[in-house]
Amino acid sequence: MSDAIAELLCEHCDDVTDHELRYAGRLLEHVECTRCGRRTEVSGRALLPAYVADLEQRVASKPRRMLRRAADDPVGYAMSLPAALARQPVKFAREFWAVLKR
Amino acid sequence: MPAASTPAAPTPRAALVLLAAGEGRRSGHATNKVLLPLAGRRVFTWSIRWARLLPMFVETVVVVREGDQEQVEAICRREVEGPVRLVVGGASRHESEWAALQALAPAIAAGDLDVVAIHDAARPLASSDVFATVTEQALTHGGAIPVADQRSLAPREPTEVLADRLVAVQTPQAFRAGPLLGAYAAAHADGFVGTDTASCMERYTDLPVRCVPGDATNVKITFPEDLFLAERLLEKVDYDLSGGRTPPHGRRLPHLPTLRRARGEGTR
Repeated sequence: MSDAIAELLCEHCDDVTDHELRYAGRLLEHVECTRCGRRTEVSGRALLPAYVADLEQRVASKPRRMLRRAADDPVGYAMSLPAALARQPVKFAREFWAVLKR
Repeated sequence: MPAASTPAAPTPRAALVLLAAGEGRRSGHATNKVLLPLAGRRVFTWSIRWARLLPMFVETVVVVREGDQEQVEAICRREVEGPVRLVVGGASRHESEWAALQALAPAIAAGDLDVVAIHDAARPLASSDVFATVTEQALTHGGAIPVADQRSLAPREPTEVLADRLVAVQTPQAFRAGPLLGAYAAAHADGFVGTDTASCMERYTDLPVRCVPGDATNVKITFPEDLFLAERLLEKVDYDLSGGRTPPHGRRLPHLPTLRRARGEGTR
């Protein structure tokens, strides 16, 4: 799961407030107003198949995306690759756990 | 004697101005909503992608908030092919538009741009078709804005003017480049601040602004629900709002996140 805080209009507060956003991979999982706690989320039943389909596409398109980044900046890409590879197991474990526990 | 062949009309040259500076308030640690991830890309790069499939778009200016430049530059390097100019916007939409037009002024003065299309970066689902329509209409008539019928809305206060159609004005809004720059220069001199691009054009020029059919799916990210809606709408069209267009010069579309294409099943 990745997180972001963004300014969105809260219907309950009737104001632009900070909202916490959580993603499951590339899919938005929930958004919560940090002022009133109003939460909008995808149900666990809908999230799991959507996450699996998206994951399949992420894996399928990864070689193309890696090639493009390597072509754009070969040195920078080569230098960032070891750290990026090391992060993947933890990243995916956190994603799977967060999706499965819903 | 065979008729002399008519030379093909030159392709009009247009600039895309993407307003990504937002409005006013900033809490310090919050991300600008147009920089949020949306289905594998950032919100603001989706519409750049659809506009730049049209060969007429030869220039792109992204108006950003002070402090967002570095992040926007990094995102553009990753998600946008070709050059993008960043301009720091002002406190209002009008000021941001003026900043972008000042950046484009030399090209407009040199006659290198025919049309400027101004688009709200919080509308990631503006299709290539709508960019093409407003730009072509602007070239022909002077200005064009997309509008969508709001049949379910009624005025809050009693009014004597009963409009037979209540419409919501969307973006992109496109205008002939020279008159647009002139209108904003005059507005700047007068201290006039318009609510949108069309209001400034209507005040300072006689050029007609045509309404073209907008699209109900051209949603603006405002409420949290809009992000979920945009994600679903993109999925529904297979993440493809190109209208069948391919990138100029045979470039490949980067990051086409379609499961069906990945599986080799083609698109709907």
